[in-house]
Amino acid sequence: MAYEMLSGSQAAAAAVQRANVDLVAAYPITPQTAIVETLANFEAKGELGGDFVSVESEYAALACCYGAAAAGARVFTATASHGLAYMHEVIHWCSGARVPVVMVNVNRAIGAPWCLDPDQGDSLSQRDTGWMQIYCSGAQEVFDTVLQAYVLSEELLLPCLVVFDGFYISHTYEAVDVPEKEKTLEFVGEKKFKAQVIPGAPANLHGLTTGDNQILLVKNRHETMIKAIDLFKDVNKKYEEFFGRSYKVVDSVIPPGSTTVFMAAGATVETIRWALPELDDCGLIQLRMFRPYPAEELCAILEAHEVERVIVVDRNCSVGMGGIFSQELRAALYKMEKPPVVEDLILAGGIDLTVEMLHKALEPVNEDRLTDQKWGVDVR
Amino acid sequence: MENEMLEFRIHGRGGQGIVVAAAIFAEAVFMEGYYARAFSLFGAERRGAPVTAFIRAGKNRLMPRSRVYHPDYVAIFDSTMTGASLVSGLKKSGTLLLNSKNDFKNSLFKDIPRDMDIKTFFVDATDIAWKHNLAIGSFPMVNTVMLGAMAHNSGMASLDSLVESIRKRVSARLEENIAAVKEGFESVKEVGSFVN
Repeated sequence: MAYEMLSGSQAAAAAVQRANVDLVAAYPITPQTAIVETLANFEAKGELGGDFVSVESEYAALACCYGAAAAGARVFTATASHGLAYMHEVIHWCSGARVPVVMVNVNRAIGAPWCLDPDQGDSLSQRDTGWMQIYCSGAQEVFDTVLQAYVLSEELLLPCLVVFDGFYISHTYEAVDVPEKEKTLEFVGEKKFKAQVIPGAPANLHGLTTGDNQILLVKNRHETMIKAIDLFKDVNKKYEEFFGRSYKVVDSVIPPGSTTVFMAAGATVETIRWALPELDDCGLIQLRMFRPYPAEELCAILEAHEVERVIVVDRNCSVGMGGIFSQELRAALYKMEKPPVVEDLILAGGIDLTVEMLHKALEPVNEDRLTDQKWGVDVR
Repeated sequence: MENEMLEFRIHGRGGQGIVVAAAIFAEAVFMEGYYARAFSLFGAERRGAPVTAFIRAGKNRLMPRSRVYHPDYVAIFDSTMTGASLVSGLKKSGTLLLNSKNDFKNSLFKDIPRDMDIKTFFVDATDIAWKHNLAIGSFPMVNTVMLGAMAHNSGMASLDSLVESIRKRVSARLEENIAAVKEGFESVKEVGSFVN
């Protein structure tokens, strides 16, 4: 193992540098800047292996990646917050056009007012754009997931968003095993997808169609994306053989007899995991893959452990409804015979999660159960 | 150190190299065979704005991903910073390291609760930084001096590991920085067990 002390952002850039990428087009934004900076440094030293395009905006960054991917290139971009929101139209387009793109989004709250803390609302507001979304809980996971995202994206011809929290991951230096480039290139493999844009063979791409055709395309995209759940398992089997590490779409640590579990995605996972020994009879579910949504896997875990209560840690809020991860879980549980109660700990604004807050989250919600929500700001 | 985890908090200002210092310290701790993480909190910072960095070090790879609220060790890189929030949560028998010309003059002491039994150290990092020509304009870069002092009294990183990490991470004025880290290591003084 060749460990390097890297920040989450540097780990993402290190993976891109080891993935034989043809083109990087990116625009810096806090807290993602170090990704762009690190890749630009690779480029300056001639170590990137592909082209680095400095663009005038995030919209241009993704549009540039789209065009290159349509011409058969392996591409990368990264952004956060307002940058992701600004890309929105092209985010849809990449998925509909079935080009493989890997993008990192470093979670940051969206204004107004300006805020840099890691609210997940930026990536979650792109939930319905037809991209896979994978949430990472640390720098090693970031490195490994970016490499795996290329395999998933190129196999399924669907773009993939790799997501992690600003500061708590992006700016945290920790030991990351960075394998030899030779091995990572072998893992990611040669590009096999076909170029849509071919010089000398003009064609009209993605022209006007009708709903009757569009529905078939959407259905196909949906059915293809569902395959990512099984493909993720295969990809991780291969990754384990290559590098001795693997991940699941949903991970769980549920000690025998635990009837309550916390569920989280991103950096808060490790705070909960750390606190488990002092949280009596509590388990943890880590939601790694959010799109496609691993409903069956989640229900199977909850059923097997006869979980009665799930407290979802949502570093986000769909205003007017509540935490987004908790809503998605509730929607997935309706087929269960005895679904658990789902409560929500809302850390909107990207506020810090402490062990003390987890203890308070375990206290019963209002006796009249008027609400299943607790706000992080009320339990600090 | 068997199962426990030590938590550090560094206070300083943008431009003093707080973020880099935390990464260097974490790397040096890792070289000693412990796991370590360093992270920083800042806004859209400018030179001179307050910056806080956190380091965790321990035998376990698994650590919480939250800020440090109850540090075992607080290092204050900027001699002009004051206020109770700098020492808030410091453990009763924790360690405080100050960039200060002398021991008992620092106004921080009035902010330390009376029942504390902390070990207090000081080093004149500003003066040492000037001496080694480590200033950007009129702004002394005290980070490597303070790292040397932290290595001396925290027991978590050796001077050799620090120097090795600095060689990897610092390109400007490398030899001056290495001289500064060594002088910080040698110059740190203990005030004595400080009971307010």
